[in-house]
Order: sequence, then structure tokens, then C-alpha cells
Amino acid sequence: MFEAFTDVVPSFFGWLNQGPLTLTIFLHTVIILPMIWIYFQEKKRLENEN
Amino acid sequence: MANNHLTSESKQLATWYFTFAAILFGAQLLFGLVAAIQYVMPGFLYEILDFSIARILHINALVVWMVFAMFGSVYWLLPDETGIETIGIKIGKLIYWVFVAAIVVVVLVYLLVQVGPADATTIWFITEGREYIEAPRWADWGIVVVALTFVANLFLTGIKGKQTGIVTVLMADMIAFAGLYLAGMFFTDNISVDQYWWWWVIHLWVEATWEVFVGAIAAYGLITMIGAHRKVVEMWLWIEVAMLFGSGILGLGHHYFWIGTPEYWWEIGALFSALEPLPLVAMFVHVLYDWGKTQGGEEARGSSASVIKNKPAFTWFVLNAFGNFLGAGIWGFFHTLPQVNLYTHGSQFTSAHGHLAFFGAYATILIGMMYIAVQGTNGIKIMKHTKASIWGVSMVTGGVVGMTVALTIAGYVQVLVSRAQMGATWAAYFDGQSGSWFTQAMDWRLILGAVTFSGFLLLAKDLLTTGKSPVHER
Amino acid sequence: MANKSVWSDNRFWQRSATWVTGFASVLLIWLTFDTSVQIAMGNDEDLKNGVTKRVPGPTVINYKITYEMDAKRGHEVPVIGEKENFFGRDDWSEEEAGALLHLGKLGSQAKNCMDCHTLLGNGAYYAPDLTKAWLDPAWGPNGAMQALTAKETKEEAMAEFLQHPDRYPTHARMMPDLGITAKEAKGLVAFLKHMSSIDTNGFPRNFGHMQGAINGK
Ligand code: HEC
Ligand code: HEM
Ligand code: HEM
Ligand SMILES: [Fe+2]
Repeated sequence: MFEAFTDVVPSFFGWLNQGPLTLTIFLHTVIILPMIWIYFQEKKRLENEN
Repeated sequence: MANNHLTSESKQLATWYFTFAAILFGAQLLFGLVAAIQYVMPGFLYEILDFSIARILHINALVVWMVFAMFGSVYWLLPDETGIETIGIKIGKLIYWVFVAAIVVVVLVYLLVQVGPADATTIWFITEGREYIEAPRWADWGIVVVALTFVANLFLTGIKGKQTGIVTVLMADMIAFAGLYLAGMFFTDNISVDQYWWWWVIHLWVEATWEVFVGAIAAYGLITMIGAHRKVVEMWLWIEVAMLFGSGILGLGHHYFWIGTPEYWWEIGALFSALEPLPLVAMFVHVLYDWGKTQGGEEARGSSASVIKNKPAFTWFVLNAFGNFLGAGIWGFFHTLPQVNLYTHGSQFTSAHGHLAFFGAYATILIGMMYIAVQGTNGIKIMKHTKASIWGVSMVTGGVVGMTVALTIAGYVQVLVSRAQMGATWAAYFDGQSGSWFTQAMDWRLILGAVTFSGFLLLAKDLLTTGKSPVHER
Repeated sequence: MANKSVWSDNRFWQRSATWVTGFASVLLIWLTFDTSVQIAMGNDEDLKNGVTKRVPGPTVINYKITYEMDAKRGHEVPVIGEKENFFGRDDWSEEEAGALLHLGKLGSQAKNCMDCHTLLGNGAYYAPDLTKAWLDPAWGPNGAMQALTAKETKEEAMAEFLQHPDRYPTHARMMPDLGITAKEAKGLVAFLKHMSSIDTNGFPRNFGHMQGAINGK
């Protein structure tokens, strides 16, 4: 699953790209996770509105 | 105009924008036909109006007519959404003429001067030679001024009037749309850097800002044409914005596989762009679902009347839902993984996708907006199809879909023969172009292009005359 | 309205859309900084010291370029080899080579090459991809073009063709005369040679390795 690093120039993103999907799964996770926080904030707001 | 039912100046300006857009659409198709003939008969207009010039006119007219129709759409819906007349409309009207004049000059220079010496004056006054944004630098600055005026009109009106979700989305979207143009306005000797930023304009326009624009227009159309609920429609709109920008912004990476950019773009480009079809599915479901729902509600009340207040416009909107999903979503996905794109990159396959995507995602809905404008201008309550509108939509759509099929077959041959078998050299290129599958596909593309153009003539006739037709309910 | 769901709440989606858009944009800008450094043009020092750049400096025209399979990376990469004459010299200075490349890049835009050809795979599909045109066997010692143009070297043959493409047609679909001067042609050839040295992650695949192997028709 983890492949040898073959990028011409090492970089942070290249380093995250350790094999199939690692980089993208990481980026998607950081994009989606905060939505959970937004969810609970909005839930609280809706409850308080009642 | 006699019998003009428009009281809003903003809507009047919208009709001007739509009119010039339709003229440019016709010009686009004519130059496309010239380029298509050159594939079949290479001597046609050789060294008079070469392929490069015909193609520049074809795709520049395409981009410009769409921008015109987009501006027109915003000027049209703004009074309805905000409840007030557009602020600064007088300057908006003046700027319209500046824009038209600039376009005419640029086109004449393309046609008559064509190319220049290899120096900065050519870049400033004749052509920048970068696909889609060939317009010379002076015109770039003109476009910046025009876009700023337009954005100012939109923002001032949006802030003063009622700020609906649709208007909010449009405000954010249009400023990004205008701002991105700046990324295409500089010269560099480094072609990798050049293409890196060039894609910011091309991709972030069509796969981010323009798509969100379509989401907003579709929302407006559903509310006005079938009386869908604003609350529901606007919720969908926000979901679409999240999905479109969430996938489309980093989906830009699918153009960074082979232009000198680092390897990590393979993964970012592949995966984010692979998600790009999702919002297009959502938009498709949304349009058809809302239609079914409102019609169903009507029938539950025991009425069999159609909920659609503008049949031709709604037809184009539904075609947009299909076309966007097929042309951008499916045809885009076909070649978006690097393993595939290594072979399809820059082939007729790209052209197949480009045609169905631009047509399906943008031409359709913008023509729909033109019909909405015809309805409003003529004070029509319920607008019906005419013979010309049905033949127009069928021939234009059938023609473009047919061209796409032909180009897809041509692309398949090119990918197999020129790329996979022969290794992409000059000789390999022409081996791929000369097989009978390829040449016949080019014949069919030309024939179906002619069908598209004939359909356009009917469409233009209908847009000009249907307003006075007795079939509509007033 | 006791149990209104967050999922059907417009504000939730609006905030999510704003977050997702903002964050994706920030990531793109970050990536752009990273990429910009990697695709900045190298210089003469790099070439002399054998430092590999994704986009080498303009003086790469003083060197022989080949396109070879790299076992580690699993695809072909441009390899910059020993010195080689370019229009009779192999000592083009940084300034001279830079000026030549500048002229060539301007020329490529002034003549709209991209509206018939693809460059790095982007552009029009009416004529061959120019990414590795410099390495095309047709221009090499065993190809037809040097003999056809009656020139002794690759660069002179290319320059001659670019000035008068209508005199050397090899297919019914011909390149037109674009009014390219001798000076501009030199710049354009430098531009093409430089482009062939860019590390394009293996595009195009198998370039020039399969000639005559299979009959494609
Ligand atoms: C009007 C279209 C057109 C334009 C513009 C154009 N070309 Fe071409 N070019 C062609 C065609 C067609 C061929 C193939 C000619 C043949 O095979 O006989 C070709 C062939 C070539 C070749 C040889 C093919 C190869 O792979 O080595 C090179 C090099 C070339 N062009 C460079 C350029 C450059 C540089 C420019 C811009 C300055 C340019 N062309 C502009 C149409 C065009
Ligand atoms: C309405 C939306 C879209 C439009 C108008 C559109 C249009 C285009 C056009 C015109 C090109 C060719 C650019 C050139 O001239 O080089 C192109 C290329 C491309 N598009 Fe799209 N596109 C859209 C959406 C998508 C989507 C959703 C995907 C992926 C799922 C996609 C994937 C691609 C890819 C991978 C290329 C590069 C092709 C190549 O390597 O040659 N597109 N697009
Ligand atoms: C009369 C019908 C048409 C004909 C004959 C036609 C023909 C052509 C030709 C010959 C090209 C050049 C392709 C190449 O470089 O090989 C082209 C490019 C293009 N056309 Fe059309 N076209 C037509 C209609 C349309 C329509 C309706 C649209 C979109 C709404 C469109 C959008 C484009 C785009 C985006 C490109 C650039 C594609 C790319 O670079 O991948 N065309 N067309
Ligand atoms: Fe894209």
C-alpha cells in the first residue's frame, strides 16, 4: 500500500501522497469534518429558537 | 419596441444583451462550420481564413455570447429578486455599447490582421494567442472595466433591495468570475507557468463559477416558471454551491497532470474532479423532482393543467439538467483519471467533451433565459411551443449530440492509433487522422454541424416572432 | 415547530457552503505556492551542476535532450545529456538563450500556434502535439525533414520549415505561411527545444519509440 517516494522535488503535499488515496482522503477529511461542528452549532440554535 | 410590456430598465438592458448574444451564437456556429469543413477539405480557405483563425472566432464568440447572455440573465432577474430597479442602470446601458464596440473591433482585427510579429505590440493589439482568451491586452482591460461596472450594478442593487439567497449566491459568484479573469492577463516565457494560470481562468470559470451561476439561474427559473417553493429551491442551491465549489476548485488539478507541474496533482486532480459529477446529478434530480412535485400537487387538487408557465424555456431548462450531467459529468469523468488522460489528453475526445459540456451546461439554460425574456417583453401569461420552437430545439440539440458522438468515435480512433499504438509523433498523429473511422467521423461532424446551424436559424426565427404568435395565453 | 431538522435548514447549508468554498480556495492557494516554486525556470548553474529542474533554464538549448524511461518513476522523462550545437554554437549565454526563448514564446502566441497544435497537450487538435516536437524522429538524422529542406541540422531544418511550411507539405492538411521571419523562426525552434526538456510526468507516452511497429490504418 505504501509506495516508494518518487517525486522529483520533495514537498509537503508530495509527502502526504504516500499511496493510493492518502492525500485525497486526508484533504477530504479536513474539509468535511468541520461541517459536523457547524451541524451541532446550528442544531443548538434551532433548539434555542423554540 | 411597440407593445413593449417592460417597465423595468434593467429588463430592457437584459434584452439588449440577449439580442447581441444570439447574433454571436450564430457567428460562432458559422466559424465552427468553416473549421469543420477544413478537416474534410484541407484546402478550404487555406492562407485566407486558416483553421486557427476560424477556430479563434468559433471559441471566442462562444465565450463572449455566453458572458453576454449571463449578464443579460442577471439584469433580467435582478428586479424580480430584489424588488427594486437596478441601481446605476444608466451606466450599465452605456457600458453595454462600449462592450459591443470593443467586441466588433476585436473580431475585425482577428479577421483582417490575423497574426502579427513576435513582439509585445501583437499581444497588446492583435492577439494574445492563448486559447479562449486570445483577445488582445487592451481588450482585456476593457473587459475588466465592463465586468466591474456589471458587478457594481449587481452589488449596489443587491445591498439596497431584498437580498434573497439567489442574489447572495450571484453576488459572491460574479465577483469570483470577474476576478479570475485577471489570472489570464500576463505574459511569461515559462510555458508551464503560463498554462498553470491559464487554467485558472478556463477551468475555474466553467467548472466552478459558471456552474454555480447555472445553479442560481435554475433556481430562479423553477420559482418563476413552475412556482416551486423558494425555501426548498434555495436550500438546494446552497447544497449545490457546497458540492460544486468543494469538488470544482481543487478539481482544477485534472489539468495539472502533464504541464510540468508536480506529481501530487495526479491524485488531487483525479479524486476531486471525480466528484465533480455529483453536484450535476443533484441539479438534475432537483429540477425534475421539483417539476414532478408541483405538477403532482396540482393534480392532487384535481386539476390537469400544466404548471409550466413557459413551455419552450422550460424545455431548455430540462435539457440543461440532462446536458450538464451528460456533457460535463459523464463525458468529463470519462477522461478525468490520469491513467486515461495520459492517452486522451488533447485529442478529439477532449473536443467531444468540450462541445457537449458547453452546450449542455450553458447554451441550453441561456437560451431558456432568452425565452423567458421574450415572454416578459410581450406580456405573455402562459407561453406555448410553436412549430419553429420545437424544430429549433430538436435540431440544435440533435445536431450537437450527433457531433459529440462523431467526435467521441474520432477520439477513440485517435487515442488507439496515434497515442497507444504509434506513440504520439508527427507520423503517428497523421496515421490516426487518416483511417476511415476517423475521416468518416469528421464527415458526420460536418453534416450534424449543418443540422445544428439550420436548427439555430429556426430558433432565431422563433425568438424573433413567437412573441406575437396567437398560440400563447395573455 | 419543535423538531425541525438541521438537514433541512438553509443556514446550515449556507455556512457549510461558505466553509467548504473558503477552505478549498485556501488549499488551492497553498498548493499554488508550492507548485510555483517547483515550476520556476532553472538557470545555467543548475544545468552545469546537473541539478534536475522540472522546467530547466533557457541555456538547455546548449545540450542534447533525450526522452527516456525512468524505471523508478515508471514513465519517460527528459534527460539532459552532453553539450550539443544549436545553430552552430554550444555556448549560448544565459542572456542570449533567454532572449531567444522570449522571442520564441512571443512568436508562439503572436502566430496562434495553440489554435492548430497542442502545446503540453493543450490547444487545438488540427495538427500534431508540439510538446516533444524537437525529439520527433522526422526531424532527426534518419527522418525526412533535413533532406526535404536541404539542411544539415535539425534546428536549421525546423527553422526553414517554420518560415515556409507551404513549400514542404507532407500531408494534404498543410501548415500555412504565417509570415515567420528567420529571426522569429530561430526563437521558435529554441522555444520548441526548451519545451521538450520540461518534465511532463511522462506525457506523451512512448513518444517516438514505436515508429513503424504497427500499421495503424
Ligand atoms: C493554421 C494551422 C497551424 C498553425 C497556426 C500552426 N501550425 Fe504548425 N502545422 C500545422 C499542420 C497542419 C502541420 C502538419 C503539416 C504536414 O504534415 O504537412 C503542422 C506542422 C508543424 C510542425 C511539424 C510537426 C512536428 O510534430 O514536428 C511543427 C514543428 C509546427 N507545425 C510548428 C508550429 C509552430 C511553432 C506554430 C506557431 C508559430 C505553428 N506550427 C502554427 C498547422 C498549423
Ligand atoms: C460545464 C462544465 C464543463 C465544461 C463547459 C467543460 C469544458 C471543457 C473544455 C472546453 C475542455 C477543453 C479545454 C481545452 O481546450 O483544452 C475541457 C477539458 C477537460 N474537462 Fe471539462 N468541462 C466541464 C466539466 C468537466 C467535468 C465535470 C469534468 C470531470 C469530471 C471535466 C473534465 C475535463 C478534463 C479531464 C479535461 C482535460 C482534457 C484533456 O486532457 O485534453 N470537465 N473541459
Ligand atoms: C455548427 C456546429 C459546430 C461545428 C461545426 C463546430 C466545429 C468545431 C471545430 C472544428 C472545432 C475545433 C476542434 C479542434 O481543434 O479540432 C471546435 C471547437 C470547439 N467548439 Fe465547436 N462546433 C460547433 C458548435 C459548437 C457549439 C454549439 C459549442 C458549444 C456550445 C461549441 C463549442 C466548442 C468548443 C468549446 C471548442 C473547443 C474544444 C476544445 O478545445 O476541446 N461548438 N468546434
Ligand atoms: Fe476542468
